[in-house]
Amino acid sequence: MSVNNRRDFIRSGGLALGGLHLSKLLAAEEQKTERSCIVIFQNGGSSQLDSFDPKPEAPSDIRGSFGAISSSVPGVPVSGLLPRTAKIMHRIAVIRSMRSDEAIHERARQYIFSGTKPRNDLIQPSFGAVMAKERGGRNGLPPFVVIPESDLSAEAGFLGPSFDPFVAGNPNQKTFTVRDLTLPSGVTHEEAFARKRLLAKLDAGFREAENSPLLDTMDEFYGKAYDLISSPAARKAFDIQNEPDQLRDAYGRTGIGQGCLLARRLIESGVRLATVYHGGYDTHTDHEKSTKPLLTDFDQAFPTLLDDLAQRGLLSQTLVVVIGDFGRTPKVNFSGGRDHWPSAFSVVLAGANIPGGAIIGRTDKQAGEPVDRPVTIEDLAATVYRSLGIDFNKDYHANGRPVRIVKDGIPLKELVS
Amino acid sequence: MSALLHLFLLALVCDSLIAATLVGLRIVPPDVVLAGAGRSQKFLVLARDADGNEKDVTATAQVRSSAPDVVAVDSRLSVFTARSHGQVNIQATVSGIQTSATIRVADSPSELAVQFSPDVISVLTIKGCNSSGCHGSPAGQNGFRLSLFGYDVAADRDMILKAHGRRRVDIVKPENSLLLRKPLFEIAHGGGRLLTKDSDEYKTLLSWLQQGGKLDSDGARVSTIELYPSEQVLTGKGTRIRVVVLGRLSDGTTRDMTGEVRYSSTDEVTAAVKLDGEIIAGESGIATVFARGMGRSAAIQVSVVHQPAGEDFPKLQDNNFIDELTYKMQRKLNVRPAPLCSDREFVRRVFLDSIGTLPTPEEVDLFVKDVDPAKRSKLIDSLLRRPEYADFWTVKFEDWFRNNQLNSQGRSMGIFKEWIQEWLSEDRPYDQVVRKLITSKGDTFRNPAANFWHPAADFMLKKFDLKKVTPTVSRLFLGVRLECAECHNHPLENFTQDDFYGMSAFFGRMRVKHGTAEYRRTWYLDEDADVEHPVTKKPVAPKFLNGSEPQFEREEDRRIAFADWLTSPENPYFARATVNRIWNEYFQTGIVEPFDDFRSTNPPTNRALLDRLASHFADSGFRLKSLHRTILNSRTYQLSSRREKGGNGPLERMLFAGYQPRQLTAEILLDAISQVTGAPHEFGNYPRGTRAMEVHVPDQPDYFLVTFGLPRRDVLCERAKSPTLGQALHMINGATILQKVQAERNILSEFLSKGWTDDRITEAVYQRAYSRPPSDRETRAIDEFIGTEIAAGRSRRRALEGVLWTVLNSMEFKVNH
Repeated sequence: MSVNNRRDFIRSGGLALGGLHLSKLLAAEEQKTERSCIVIFQNGGSSQLDSFDPKPEAPSDIRGSFGAISSSVPGVPVSGLLPRTAKIMHRIAVIRSMRSDEAIHERARQYIFSGTKPRNDLIQPSFGAVMAKERGGRNGLPPFVVIPESDLSAEAGFLGPSFDPFVAGNPNQKTFTVRDLTLPSGVTHEEAFARKRLLAKLDAGFREAENSPLLDTMDEFYGKAYDLISSPAARKAFDIQNEPDQLRDAYGRTGIGQGCLLARRLIESGVRLATVYHGGYDTHTDHEKSTKPLLTDFDQAFPTLLDDLAQRGLLSQTLVVVIGDFGRTPKVNFSGGRDHWPSAFSVVLAGANIPGGAIIGRTDKQAGEPVDRPVTIEDLAATVYRSLGIDFNKDYHANGRPVRIVKDGIPLKELVS
Repeated sequence: MSALLHLFLLALVCDSLIAATLVGLRIVPPDVVLAGAGRSQKFLVLARDADGNEKDVTATAQVRSSAPDVVAVDSRLSVFTARSHGQVNIQATVSGIQTSATIRVADSPSELAVQFSPDVISVLTIKGCNSSGCHGSPAGQNGFRLSLFGYDVAADRDMILKAHGRRRVDIVKPENSLLLRKPLFEIAHGGGRLLTKDSDEYKTLLSWLQQGGKLDSDGARVSTIELYPSEQVLTGKGTRIRVVVLGRLSDGTTRDMTGEVRYSSTDEVTAAVKLDGEIIAGESGIATVFARGMGRSAAIQVSVVHQPAGEDFPKLQDNNFIDELTYKMQRKLNVRPAPLCSDREFVRRVFLDSIGTLPTPEEVDLFVKDVDPAKRSKLIDSLLRRPEYADFWTVKFEDWFRNNQLNSQGRSMGIFKEWIQEWLSEDRPYDQVVRKLITSKGDTFRNPAANFWHPAADFMLKKFDLKKVTPTVSRLFLGVRLECAECHNHPLENFTQDDFYGMSAFFGRMRVKHGTAEYRRTWYLDEDADVEHPVTKKPVAPKFLNGSEPQFEREEDRRIAFADWLTSPENPYFARATVNRIWNEYFQTGIVEPFDDFRSTNPPTNRALLDRLASHFADSGFRLKSLHRTILNSRTYQLSSRREKGGNGPLERMLFAGYQPRQLTAEILLDAISQVTGAPHEFGNYPRGTRAMEVHVPDQPDYFLVTFGLPRRDVLCERAKSPTLGQALHMINGATILQKVQAERNILSEFLSKGWTDDRITEAVYQRAYSRPPSDRETRAIDEFIGTEIAAGRSRRRALEGVLWTVLNSMEFKVNH
């Protein structure tokens, strides 16, 4: 019997005795296959030399001034900007030999989030959209959420706009609420649903006559909206004010800190994939001035997130990915900045079944080129999907043709089986 | 009956079938000049039918040479072979119809010279050798370093021929060169096996070495290549056709390049192309097949239809050339256009599409009752004369020119907006407008057009960022996305880094001074400045895209020359890019799609339509209203949006076979809600009744607008047009609709004060929102709803608010269909 049949069986009241045992089995099986994901996206592209791939021996116009410190993995230093992350290196995996050849932000992001080079004729869907399609929403929540704003890289592409992300807004604001999740004051559920029923009648005739995919999408969103409205639990998921101040402080009262906290809350409540965009890494000028606060904030939020997930028993079921558009040039430019560098950069994976302390690949003396185990974006995408239990070898259909979400990507055997 | 007799009868029948539809015949390629004795050229005989479609009839053609000792014809292989110097007449006959062609044989064959650039470079690029992951990376691979995508030709040649003790090539025995053996994988190669000995790329590299590895070789160069047949409509899945490729050389001869080019298809599912150029029809659709070689390319459009249009394909009235040309393609692909939309559908749609405003019930009524057969045309004329036309299209141009808060702020933004409104109202010739923009300078408070440059002022550094100009100008006015070429040549396209910097050079002398307040900027020119090539560090001369380098006097504003070139009748881009952009507004799909992405690898789906629209626009003096008028008056625009289930696929969209419903954009939707409810929206300090279209976007744009896709205009992207969950939530729960529906003074108050019945009020709401009366069924459903609401204890007013709320949330209201 398929999982769905079992579920129905139980729901229909099935065997009262055996039902409980079965539901536990069901939960375990679902648990095994249904991992969630948090992506921390370093908007603009984070410098590998100033984070996970320092080169203290390199000339001064390359190594920068943040120095390197030892980490909890012997022989693997990290940037002086990441002391807290250094202490948990044994719990995470770092790919230092990541490479893409897309140096334009929009293209690079599309490439990274979809695992496929941007195409002219189709837009390939992002991880979140695929999760939304394959797994659907839970507990009335949207399956795919972005914090604080959306971005082209988050698109659902050929899967259709109904799998686009829900935009949560910026949780690091005093009065943060996700707007319009509750009925307006003075409107009861009864009244709202009476209107909803009339709306369905009026829309039905129009939809039948037009037969337009646009209307199907609009209808789906209205359905999801009503699901959200009807689920107090769902709405609570966005209510970051319910978190104790102590925890909010631990993450850091920053965009990324509160973003990670909100992401944890959402994952805990049933969201499949949450992307937290951390802005400002595109430092073409005055690189060190801008990078220091960014990575410092990251260094506070990231280990806290992993601890928090672990304490709640969520870590093994949540894949955490840290990635940016690309790396940054080893040689600092004449404006004190680092420019785009897709030839080599660092990516971090943690949680799920990712082995801690796995350091994959090496770069040359300048962190400019992979010299060992270069990893393609396609391989990374395959690894992510494998970890999440998504079959990336199946054919989807778009424009009347079969198409894959990742082509020729091989999951990294060091990280997933 | 004997097999032979069978065959003969069959041939006769085929012949007569062909004869029945055949109107012309030709031999391709035309103008063949064989380089010398022994040289050959594959040929095809093509028959043209009444619809202008060509069919390959080589198999049934009788082809004769007037002098077989000069040029011999092999009918079985369909090849011309030169025997001696001279000239012949070739005659082809099919079903009694004849055609002829002249073939010359030149004095002696010269070896085709392989030049380092573009021939060898193009091999290194297509094979990925000089990509950033391989030898094109800064450190190269194993010391072998090439310039990224071949931007430094001289350095690459030196690296190959001279570097490291000349170890990579063996000029004496070229086949032994590392340059060849590594990609052949005869020796270990990190990049793997990239070549085989029978590949064109290998042969090119080998020829180059055999010819001495020169940078510039003497000898003939390929000037252009041609691909035949010109265009094909293939009927039935699995149908196969052959192609023939001709190269025209610089010495006046031609070369059979059928086996020397790389073939590819834009859509393998519709038309797959094999290595030898054979095309196989797949699913219905439109694809482009390319042939590329020696730095040149040629393309043909291949359409596949499974069931060709029969006698029952509707014959329709053309309103203008748009209909004639779209119909042609629809018939070719057997995609039936939808019927004409009704008067009610038309009036609502054309109001929204031309002036972004709903028609009032009175306007609808007047139109529907009018018996004038030319009423649609007259309505279009009157709409284009209304002041809302300028308001509505101004917002679009503000999107395109990125008039936003970050760039301009406050007064500057307003000045630019007003200037756009002005020339739209006057219907000033668009070429003049663009010329004004391109050559604008001075104080942005005094010279509104100069606000155009704001997106190129680096916000942080307060200086001019030249790199932002070229992509903007290129996309807006040429329809070309040149931004990739900033860093490297595109391996498959013709645009190079030289093109990018060559275009930048026209604008390279611009500078900006910032004022003290409100983003008041002054744009001026620095006559001594030059644009430096990022790699060679040498000054770059201004160069027109795919064109020449004009000469300048020192003090000249080079932008004037650019504007002249851009708007000249010979410019192939400007008119096409503009009409395509406007077309996309109406049809939600460009004739070139994406609408600002013209490339040889992204051809128009209906080239004849695009060309004709472009020349029409140019002939009208580049007047936008003339373009709007032509499009809106076409039957194609006026087709219904209603389709059968499954009848609205990508092919219908590409062929413009029906109107595409689309959600109203943010400003329009908000204004429509205000209009229907009679409760105007409050926009800060603006006077009551100001519409969203008219507002200069403030610091904190209205949440409704942002949720419904108001763009930030900080990047060159279009508005997001897809519905979102956030929109649904805001419509259901948000304050915007609720406040208007509950407002003390809105249409409900008015109707109630007049003592109208529920049904009368419902009808009035329907007319305002949908431009139609409710059906009996709808009236009953609404009556029932009101009854239930009142029974639940809510007031009549509240129940009617519920009706109004529901109508505003309905799809039919939010969608333009």
